[in-house]
Formats: sequence, structure tokens, C-alpha cells
Amino acid sequence: MFLPAGVRNYSYAQDMAIFRTKTQWVLLGVLLLLLMVMPSFLSNYWLSVCNIIAITIIAATGLNILTGYCGQLSIGHAGFIAVGAYTSAILSGQLGMPFLLSMLCGGLMAGFIGMLFGLPSLRVKGFYLAISTIAAQFIIMWVIRNWSEVTGGNIGLSVPTAEIFGYSFTSQASKYYLILAITVLVIFFAKNLARTRPGRAFVAIRDNDLAAQVMGINLFRYKLLAFFIGCFFAGIAGSLLAHCYYGFLNPEFFDFKESILYAGMIIIGGLGTSVGPIFGVILIRLLDSILSLEVVPFLETHVTLFTSGWASGLKPMIFGAVIVLFLILEPRGLAHRWQLFKTSYRIWPFSY
Amino acid sequence: MADLLQFVITGITVGMVYSLIAMGFVLIWKSSGVANLALGQLVLISSWITYAILVQAGLPPWLGVPIVIVIAFGLGWLIERFLLRPLIAQPILSLIAVTLGLSYFLDGLITFIWPWSVDALPRLFPQDTIHIGTAVVSQEYLWAAGISLLLFTALTLYFKYSRMGIAMRATADDQMAVQACGIPVTKIFSRSWMLACAMAAIGGILMASIGGIGHGLIDTGMKSFSVVILGGLDSFLGAMIAGPIIGLVENLGGGYLTALTWPGIKEVIPFIMIIIVMMIKPYGLFGEVRIERI
Repeated sequence: MFLPAGVRNYSYAQDMAIFRTKTQWVLLGVLLLLLMVMPSFLSNYWLSVCNIIAITIIAATGLNILTGYCGQLSIGHAGFIAVGAYTSAILSGQLGMPFLLSMLCGGLMAGFIGMLFGLPSLRVKGFYLAISTIAAQFIIMWVIRNWSEVTGGNIGLSVPTAEIFGYSFTSQASKYYLILAITVLVIFFAKNLARTRPGRAFVAIRDNDLAAQVMGINLFRYKLLAFFIGCFFAGIAGSLLAHCYYGFLNPEFFDFKESILYAGMIIIGGLGTSVGPIFGVILIRLLDSILSLEVVPFLETHVTLFTSGWASGLKPMIFGAVIVLFLILEPRGLAHRWQLFKTSYRIWPFSY
Repeated sequence: MADLLQFVITGITVGMVYSLIAMGFVLIWKSSGVANLALGQLVLISSWITYAILVQAGLPPWLGVPIVIVIAFGLGWLIERFLLRPLIAQPILSLIAVTLGLSYFLDGLITFIWPWSVDALPRLFPQDTIHIGTAVVSQEYLWAAGISLLLFTALTLYFKYSRMGIAMRATADDQMAVQACGIPVTKIFSRSWMLACAMAAIGGILMASIGGIGHGLIDTGMKSFSVVILGGLDSFLGAMIAGPIIGLVENLGGGYLTALTWPGIKEVIPFIMIIIVMMIKPYGLFGEVRIERI
């Protein structure tokens, strides 16, 4: 484990801790405090941006467990998010299930569907698996589009607001706290998962699945477990997206392009690190909201050089370029830059 | 029964075009081990380029189509030179992700230049219908199939007899050995991207002149993935045989299953096929089964 000079551990508990030094605890406290008071300075729009960032972090953390730790590339994440969103919306909207329970069911449903489409991972990997997750995305979205008696089809489905024990989350700030609490739990879980037996098994499978099998890791169990956990988080994120962000559901929210963007986000952030998805998601979602709020409308009205409607092509172009440039210039992602920054901060003023 | 013959003929002819696009994929996969997931976007953008040249610039097809193919060559060269070359010897994940990024970028570029997103190409082929038995088939489909078959033959000959083609096959077989023999591997990569883009362009022109330009063309590219999965990633023959099979299953399924299930089943049948093939015969009909060693 990487430790700053001068930090010593006197017990196993100390050695196992995620936050080791007083400074880290103080920084954590400051960060949490900052997150807690955020709603008092942000406008409703930016608060909703924070909400989508937090929800996306949940989904991206799931994808990171699947792709970053276990090495099973999934390009159908938006499909699994849709499964969670629709399951939860239908259970609470049409059957009157309480929100927390329906969210859990949404997660479980997405997890099981993910496991189903993860079955080919036992025989194939790399590109073949990527294609089968693409297929999963298209099949799931086809079912959602067409099973209109239940899912509302292309017209969409209205979703009741989240409600826990009679308290209903209607204001943007209350939604923010709910999502924040779940996101913190998910990040904590993911951080710890990487250090447990399954987490180490995932990393072994990623590095070489055949070698892992020879060493006695049950591939069948752990690959499917990775699919289950990754898609479970996708389902939870989907449920939050339905109840706390959109308020209604439409198949267009879960486009194939959204899946590509999820894969892009964890690559930009840094695969197989716990902070990576957070950085990647914040970068892409902030870029998204700044572009769609400020830049695109401005250019659309002021630059008339091109055919009208051209500016809506800017966003995908920029996202694509960002993904490609990160892969070429910094394949280890923002998390690696963060690590470099931390190291140089610790040893400053020396260079090493 | 009239329907059956109709579905079979349409399926096989459309499938030939899928084969053509899929061969572009196989070419890149074989020579450089890169999975090109931007195939659908390449098909779409090249049909828009065709639109720009034939409709917006008003050139006649005999001049315009070769220009499109030259532009497609250029596009392939650019992609290889600036996106793939810096990533040589990176893990497969990066190679897949970079083409995904490319697909996103091309999507944006298409909206940027042609924001209206749906249009029609001038008809390149005679539209008179032909009666085959009880089926009525538009001549266009037969032309498309004929051109695909012709290109398949030309490519096979190219790989068999031309210097570059032989070098490309050698690279697919053993990259290290080829490099040791003094064959410029990077040149082969760029050649294979150029050829693949040209094939995607021809596929795009054929599909667009029949069905018009629209986002459906991206799906045509996506369907080619099911062709390569069924045929085996590293087999041209596989792609050529699997294309008509996918087209056939798609059209038969679309014809007979729509009443039983939901509309649009035609669009997902290729993806269902992918899952089935993965479960039963993951390396496809003609794909090489890799034996892994630690």
C-alpha cells in the first residue's frame, strides 16, 4: 500500500483503514460538509446537475466493477439502467410498492438480466463479449419500446416521486440528499469490495482469466457475480433516475449512445480505480450541462454560417473527441493524474 | 408461398450487402486485431458524403461514386494514422473504446454537417420489378447483390495474387514474422483501414440508394456485427456466407414473427442471433478457435 513518509501503523485495524491519517479524516469531513451545504448556494438547475452527476456515479461505479476490476467490457450499460428504471417505476407506480423496496427490486432485476446476458462471458471475452452486451442493449430496448401495455412504449411512463415513510421527495434539495446518501454508500461499498476476496478474484480474472482459473478461482461464479454487482448498481441508478431525476420515462433516455458514454466516462476517469469513475462522470456531465446550457444555444443563435440545427452535433463531437484524446494521451485516466498530483504534493519541494 | 419466395430473395440480396460491410470489419480485425465498432457510422457518413457529391454538388454518378470511394480511402487513412497508430500494442479494451469514441464523434459530425438527418439519394439502379416465380423483386436489390458478389471476387483475387494482398494475409498470420521480413506493418494497417472504409462506403451507397439515408444505416452497420460473429471474426468466407443467412433469418422472422410478437422484430433478430451464436458456437461458423496458453 502506498503511504506518505512518516506514517506508521501500530495495529492491523490501522493498516486496514481507508482513511489513515488525521489529514485524510479532516479532508473527508470538509468534503462531506461541503456536499451537505451545497444546496444552499446552488440554483435548482445546478442542483439537478449535481443529482445527475451523483446518479451517474452510481451507475459508473457499477460499470467500473464489471469492466475496470473484472475486465468484462460492457457496452450495454444504459440497457441495464433502463431495466432498473422501468422495473422500479412499474412496481411503485402500478402496484403501489414503497419506493425503497421497488428500488431494491429494480436493482435485483437489472442484476439478474445482467447475469443472463453475462452468460456468454464464460466462453468468450474481449470483443465477443462487447458485442453480446451491445446485443443485450438492443434487445432490452426493443422489449421496452414494444411491451407498451406495461412500459408505455414510445409514449413513455409517468413515475411517482420517491417517498420514504410518508416523506415525499419533491424539492430538488431533498432529492439531492437522498441521492447523495445512496451514492456515498455505493462508493464506500465499491471501495471495500476491491479489497475483499471477490474483489481480488475480479482483478485476477481481469489480468488473466485462465491463470486465475488454474489458481482455483471459480470463473463461473465470479464473472457472473461481477455482472450481477455491476448491473445491480445500474438498476439502482436507473431507479433513482426515474424517481428523482426525470419523473417520467422514455426509451430515448437509454439510447445506445448513452452506453458508449458510460464506457467513455470510466475510461476517462481511469479503469479499476475507485476515484476514477467519479472524476470521469463529473467531467463528462459538467461538460454536458455547460455545453447544453451555455455554449450550444449561444452558437446556435450567433453563428449562422452552417445549416440550422448544426450546433446539436457539437456535443457528440466533443464527447467523442474527449474519449479518443484521453485514450491516446492519458490511457490511465484522470485517476492517474490525481495520483501524480498527490505524490508531488507530498514530496514538495523535492522532485522525488 | 408467394411471401416466402419474396422474403427469401430480399433476405439473401440484402444479406449480400451486409456481407460486404462485414468483410471490411474482418479485414481490419485480421490484419491489425482492432475491432471496428464505428462501422455503422462509417456507413452512414459515407452515404451522406455521396449525398453531398451527387445531390449538393450535382455530379453525375459515374464521376461522383469514384470520388466518394476516394474520399472513403482518405477517411480510412486518417482514422488509422491519427487514432489507431498511437494505440498499437495497447490492450483490446482501448482499441474497442477508441472506435466507440470515433463512432460518437462521427455521429456528431454527421449532425453538424447534415442536421436534417433524413434524405434520399438519387436512384442509381433501374427500379423496374422483376418477377421470379411468384415473387416480385425490385431490380435494385439484385444489382446490390451482384455488386457485392463482384467485389467479393475482386477482393479474393486481390488477396490471392497481388503483392499487397499477400502481405496483408501474411500480417494476419504472424505480425512479428512479417515485420522481420521487412514488410512495413503500419502500411498494411493503413491499407486495410482504407479498404474497409471503401467497402463500408459502397455498402452505404447501395443501401442508401434503395432505402434512403437515415439513422437506419447505422443499424445496417450494427447488423454486420452479427454477420461477423456468425461467420467467425477472421474469415472472409464466413462473412460472405453468414451475410445472406442473417438477411434471410431477418426477413423470414420479420415476415412471420411480427404477427406473433411485436413490430420491429426484424431489427432485433440479428442481435438475438448474436446471443444464440455466442452460447452455442462462440467462434462462429468458420472462425479460428484460439487455444489459450498461460
